[in-house]
Amino acid sequence: MGDATDDSLSGVGLALTVLHPSIYSLQRYTGKMADPIDSALDLLRRLNPKDVKRNVDHIVELNPSLEEDLLESVDIPLSVKKCSKTKRDFLCCDYNRDGDSWRSPWSNDFEPPIQEGVTPSDRVRKMEVKANEAFDVYRELYFEGGISSVYLWDMDDGFAGCVLLKKAVNPSSQSAGSWDSIHVFDAQDRARTAHYKLTSTVILSLGTNSDSLGALDLSGNMVRQVEQDMAVEDDGSHVANIGKMVEDMELKMRNLLQEVYFGKAKDVVGDLRSIPPLSQTNRDRATQREMISSMGK
Amino acid sequence: MSRIEALSSFVESAPPGELTEVTKAIKSILGEDAVESELAPAYQKYNEEQFSTVKLPGGSAEVLVSPYNSLGDGRYYDVESASSFAFEHATGQASEVQSYALESAHEDLVKSLVKSLSTHASEHYPKSTAGVYPIEDDSQLAIVTVANKYSPTNYWNGRWRSSYIFTPESGNLTGTINVDVHYYEDGNVRLLTKKDVSVSSAGGSAAEVMKQIATAEKTYQEDLNKAFGSLSEGAFKQLRRQLPITRQKIEWEKISGYRLGQDIGGGRTK
Repeated sequence: MGDATDDSLSGVGLALTVLHPSIYSLQRYTGKMADPIDSALDLLRRLNPKDVKRNVDHIVELNPSLEEDLLESVDIPLSVKKCSKTKRDFLCCDYNRDGDSWRSPWSNDFEPPIQEGVTPSDRVRKMEVKANEAFDVYRELYFEGGISSVYLWDMDDGFAGCVLLKKAVNPSSQSAGSWDSIHVFDAQDRARTAHYKLTSTVILSLGTNSDSLGALDLSGNMVRQVEQDMAVEDDGSHVANIGKMVEDMELKMRNLLQEVYFGKAKDVVGDLRSIPPLSQTNRDRATQREMISSMGK
Repeated sequence: MSRIEALSSFVESAPPGELTEVTKAIKSILGEDAVESELAPAYQKYNEEQFSTVKLPGGSAEVLVSPYNSLGDGRYYDVESASSFAFEHATGQASEVQSYALESAHEDLVKSLVKSLSTHASEHYPKSTAGVYPIEDDSQLAIVTVANKYSPTNYWNGRWRSSYIFTPESGNLTGTINVDVHYYEDGNVRLLTKKDVSVSSAGGSAAEVMKQIATAEKTYQEDLNKAFGSLSEGAFKQLRRQLPITRQKIEWEKISGYRLGQDIGGGRTK
């Protein structure tokens, strides 16, 4: 066990910048009332992450002016729809939504159909098709199941998009888990390179329920952001570059989640209650100190 | 859902040690500063369910607030210091301390339980508050422990609660252990557990009852530690691999050449 004074996780070797917009910025109260949207995000960071959708609905009922900002900046578990043309499942979020319809990445059609729904330009749609094929392979290699969807849209100086992945498991009748990745990025075209900015959220929910253990729920989300310049030859390079960034990010976030869910949470329980008697632990520590000091003599 | 129901649900699900921050956020979202009286029932429910602790004016030890030591009208009592106090649910402050003499046919048992509970706590909880209170017309005893550790500068807070009901006549002991951990550095992760405990004949003496409680809590903590391991090895691993089965990262330039189910070995798990 390391030094107990610094138990923040910035030391787990993640060379990532953490500069997500307002969601997780630490609110400094100066006696004046904070901006309601910052307070709403602060509240959502505290309340049970499992109830995030319900809590967002409640906040909007209490202060309807927050609705648009909250829907834009709060990630909730992805919902699934079936593409009627290809019969394949696809994932829904704010980025493929038009009113009450969602665009399928497989057919480019909205479900349920609407007149003149917004679709990407031909160039960006071509990249979107390639990106969906690529992330379908990625999904199979890493998730061995689940659903993936990639959505791209045009920007003035390039394009932006999101990569979505979702999987749920039931290893036994007593336990269940679900993983939702939401990677939102933009790519600014420059001469022979592009500047990418990626914000990734993983929502991970795990639970068990049995007579011997009782009920246990371990749920939440973590957010990270990274920026990178990468070489671009043609539009195919964009798909490969985004692929690499998402792959690296998910590897880091998986390690981080492992550390927080199974390391940190367990350590905190151990800080609350000690299995061995504390008098024993204190005696052991004293003996250890004596040994160390006698060795130094 | 009404405004008061929504606000109460926020208060009642506040993580350990974060009630003040939750209240601050509520006020800012509403743009109103005077919500305390509206939220009074929610605060009371939160404080009693979570066994909120408070230092009595002039005292050094913390006492707890629960449904079991409530005297009504916002007053609670403590056996060890033989006092009662007024508790302000919105601010968590105690005042108006008076002496309080416990009247119970089980007075001796209560006092021995208080003593052995405190010995047990000092061996297993670095910091905790406990209490024993006669309930149900003196036919049962409630045995309550709460341990909090708050580390907001490191973005985590935790709470362990255990409460048991002991029936001296039958020797029955039933109870619940709850663990609540919140971690919120660049995210929001919450561990919430609930374990029911039931011992049909726990004996009659304070020492025997405490032995049953100690065993139940030790077993539970060991089971909980094992559960972290099995979730990590089970559900978590099955959700996403650390690396593909080839143990190599993807060659994205060649991604169109990957043929699912052939080149990559790992078949579909449907």
